[in-house]
Amino acid sequence: MRKIVLPGDIIAEKPLRLDHTIVENGKTCSTVIGMYDDEKNSFIPMEGLWYPVPGEKIVGIVEEAKLNTDVIGLNAPYKGLIISKFSETSVVNGDIIEAVVKELDKTGTVILSRPRVLFGGKVIAIKPSKVPRLLGKQDTMIRQITEKTKASISVGMNGLIWIKGGDSDIATKAIMRIQDESHIPGLTERIAQMLETPSKE
Amino acid sequence: MEKPTLIINGKRLDGRDPGTMRQIKISINPIKNASGSAYIEWGNNKIVSAVYGPREALPRHTQDLNKAVIKCRYTMAPFSSLEEHGRPGMNRRAIEISKVTKEVFENVVLTDLFPGTEINIFIEVLQSDGGTRAAGITCASVALAASGIPMRDMPFAVSVGKAENTLILDMDKTEDNYSTADMPIAINPRTKEINLLQMDGELTSEEIHRGIEMVIKAGEIITKTQKDALLEHYQKIEERI
Repeated sequence: MRKIVLPGDIIAEKPLRLDHTIVENGKTCSTVIGMYDDEKNSFIPMEGLWYPVPGEKIVGIVEEAKLNTDVIGLNAPYKGLIISKFSETSVVNGDIIEAVVKELDKTGTVILSRPRVLFGGKVIAIKPSKVPRLLGKQDTMIRQITEKTKASISVGMNGLIWIKGGDSDIATKAIMRIQDESHIPGLTERIAQMLETPSKE
Repeated sequence: MEKPTLIINGKRLDGRDPGTMRQIKISINPIKNASGSAYIEWGNNKIVSAVYGPREALPRHTQDLNKAVIKCRYTMAPFSSLEEHGRPGMNRRAIEISKVTKEVFENVVLTDLFPGTEINIFIEVLQSDGGTRAAGITCASVALAASGIPMRDMPFAVSVGKAENTLILDMDKTEDNYSTADMPIAINPRTKEINLLQMDGELTSEEIHRGIEMVIKAGEIITKTQKDALLEHYQKIEERI
């Protein structure tokens, strides 16, 4: 049974190992608003921040290109850092880049690797907690949008999304709708229907 | 003005029983720019609260490399009440309330997850009628929950006082001014931990214990209002489809 839980709600009377929860006095309590499924034992946060994991793809904007390091804005409490020694791509301030999280610094800096500059297009920000839903199971949802709108889309796990070409307006609308309605069942069909309709007109 | 009789025939000036609270109404995310926000109407109190962050703490000497710092700003609008508060911005009272509010949330938010950052909590009183610090804490805790910042619990606060030798819950402006004692309390509903307890006036230790019990009992109603407001926010989206 899926249900919405709020911060401080007890979700289980026994200790469980789940993200976004804490164990106090042998009971598991949620720390954010989310959906808890007691049959599958899964907790999906509905609001939340991005916790970087090595290997994740991100989209960022170059804030400060320096000689040895480039500082990347990630729309998160952390700053991204590219060490020029390890990358062959040179960037200038304002560039939109796509990169992979290499490691996490203890002081809250995310060290990035394999940067790639994305030319043109626009960047939109969504809640980082909704990114997994935007991608869908094995990227089905985002593939559906790219196929229907013919837009190039790069999704960063930090919540920044780069869109270029095709029907980018419709793609943006679809992404924003996924953000708003991600907790309601039947989303894939609704988005499919939404993408079908404008092409008929 | 002479001291009015605050309790007549077991009823208070506005017709409430000693143990009854005023009506509470909460709405979520009135401010779109914030990470999370809430608006509360608690009797005649009208308060907006907004939460920003976690973001890089500036100026940098305020950073703590082991945890996030919480910065709180409680202010009363110049038009919020009939007397005082003529000048906008912080005064001695606002600085004190900002400090105690900050300490409430330092005990609740999981700050060690975001080293080197700050979380800004703004509480703006638009209309005041006594008990604004309690209403402000209740409102800010909903705003924090709406922003997705991980918290151990959703605290609530309410004041308890004494007038005409009777303990009264949730005092309004007149009762606040003429009562014998006033004690705002903030509590974590799940663990019943006390995050804030201030007292003006005189109460016996037995009365303090009784007062805390009254607050915990009233907390069930406040917590339910807070949680209903958050749940309703998500159900509204569901109904729109």
